[in-house]
Amino acid sequence: MPSRRDLVHRAAAAIAVTSALGLGALGWGSTLLGEYSVMDMGGGQAAHAHGTRTGPGSPGSGLSVTELVADPLRVPDVRVELVARQQTIEIPGGRPVEGYTVNGTSPGPTIRARQGDLVEVEFRNESVAAGATLHWHGIDVPNAADGVAGITQDAVPAGGHHTYRFTADDAGTYWYHSHQVSHEQVEGGLLGAIVIEPVQPPAGTGDTDAVALLHVYGGQHTLNGRVQDEHLPTEPGATARIRVINTDQGTAAVWSASPFRVVATDGHEVNGPAVVEGRKVLIPAGGRVDFAVQAPAHRSGRLHVGGARSISIGDPGAGDAGATPSARQSSETLDLLAYGDPAPPGFDPQSPDRTFDYVIGRRLGLIDGRPGNFWTINGRLFPDVPMFHVREGDVVVMRVVNDSGEVHPMHLHGHHVLVLSRDGNPASGSPWWVDSLDVHPGEKYEIAFIADNPGIWSDHCHTLPHAVDGLVAHVMYEGVSTPFTINGGAGNQPE
Amino acid sequence: MRRIYSAIAWIIAGGVVVQAASIAFALGGIGRYVQDGGVIDKALVESRQATFTGDLGFPIHGIVGGMVIPLAAVALLIVAFFVKAQGARVRGARLWAGIVLGLVALQITLGYSIVDMPYLGLIHGANALAVLLAAVYAALRVRRAALSVAEEPAANAITT
Repeated sequence: MPSRRDLVHRAAAAIAVTSALGLGALGWGSTLLGEYSVMDMGGGQAAHAHGTRTGPGSPGSGLSVTELVADPLRVPDVRVELVARQQTIEIPGGRPVEGYTVNGTSPGPTIRARQGDLVEVEFRNESVAAGATLHWHGIDVPNAADGVAGITQDAVPAGGHHTYRFTADDAGTYWYHSHQVSHEQVEGGLLGAIVIEPVQPPAGTGDTDAVALLHVYGGQHTLNGRVQDEHLPTEPGATARIRVINTDQGTAAVWSASPFRVVATDGHEVNGPAVVEGRKVLIPAGGRVDFAVQAPAHRSGRLHVGGARSISIGDPGAGDAGATPSARQSSETLDLLAYGDPAPPGFDPQSPDRTFDYVIGRRLGLIDGRPGNFWTINGRLFPDVPMFHVREGDVVVMRVVNDSGEVHPMHLHGHHVLVLSRDGNPASGSPWWVDSLDVHPGEKYEIAFIADNPGIWSDHCHTLPHAVDGLVAHVMYEGVSTPFTINGGAGNQPE
Repeated sequence: MRRIYSAIAWIIAGGVVVQAASIAFALGGIGRYVQDGGVIDKALVESRQATFTGDLGFPIHGIVGGMVIPLAAVALLIVAFFVKAQGARVRGARLWAGIVLGLVALQITLGYSIVDMPYLGLIHGANALAVLLAAVYAALRVRRAALSVAEEPAANAITT
């Protein structure tokens, strides 16, 4: 028979355990997101903004993202129909994998347009069960065409369709991909390349033009969807422009034993690109770099694109067999902060209207009831992350700091950002414009952009599982609102 | 509670063996994969789609080292407060559980810092043996303490 004291002890213990469990359940329940709008994010603790202007106006007023469209009356110059399917992808040279295709293949068809064209894409989702969208990675499209499920549109359900319209203002190399359950659908191949050709072809970057789209399918490294190297036939001494697109979740290295030049980053031409020798170029996840490679006088040269694949350039008769042997990857990396010749960037980032911090960290916690070691922004866990409020016409400077142990390819939608400095060292080469920027552990980048494209724009890590784990914030223009929600009836899950 | 204490300590010791085995399995698999022409780069690692033999060694190492062993070490320390032999507390049970937990905490810190400072891997490997020895010693000690308490009830009892 337990003593009275024992009974009291037991009762106290039972009450303590019950309270602890109750509080735990309450705490856990409070992290559940349910249906939410990005409009509600950053509430009460808007990003720390310094500047001469006053704070943002009342959110929810004014313009809906659906009204931010390209000229609706203009007749499209390029019209494409893209059909997404959930199916087995045949990988030439490899084994088939379960994934997603666009018009029956992955990568989908390469869209080519001319600078200034109005591009209209009729997107049909034939069989992607979770719904799908198309995001135009790197193209500064009007917000309504940005393709982010739950922010600029509802995910297109199987059997549904959606029209995207945008003007191809900036010539360069871009890509499109789904932004619904993107970590799964992009990895699964719902993507393709888009090339916008300049009105005036730039001098000295090549008569031959090729896309080199990198993607890992089920552990297989592919180049343009094939587990094979490619040969690009050119006349001896001719220059070829190779547009490398990194659609993977991690940095890709590009190098060659032959000299080459980096002629564009993320769809923006480099001013006065010097010849690169004995250095590799790193392309962030989601990023693109255009290379100008000169074919040797005899046989072919070889450009290694990513660790596994390469392209040989030169002698049309020799094929891949006549190419120079593989070159060892250089340990030195080309620093784009000091590459090319300086030029005026077209705006003055020295006296910004707004300055934001985007500090990446990591800690244990709960997101949507799920425990894990999550990424934080300015010390806070998703969805309690900052909202970067801007007003149209603002010059915005952002300090991106990586206090975590992994590299993060930071991608801002709808804008190109100019790199101002890294770790206090100012940019000294050509204006370095990016939409996807690798920020390595311990690095501090200062970047700037002009808020010239109203809307609500994702600003996230393009190692897409990191975005799922909380590394996503938004730039929101004053007076713009969205009627769309995440986790609601439309099943929108952008990351 | 002595049995539970001892069992948890043995689980930690067993976990260390699993850790050594899994990482050797994984590194062996990498060697083979690369020999066969496979390429391991950031794209492959982040795609979480690597398919070579031995690839499973990494998640095993991560789950056992990042969750199973630390949880067991915390449980060991909690249980240590209730370990009794012949109604008396066993001296050193808490101390050795604390030592095990401390070594495990150090081990995890080292593990997560290896990518930043590869030289820490040298200590990570050696400290694994320290965790193993401490866990085994803790397990054996309670048992021995219990035996000696049975012989000399007063000697190992501490007043509280």
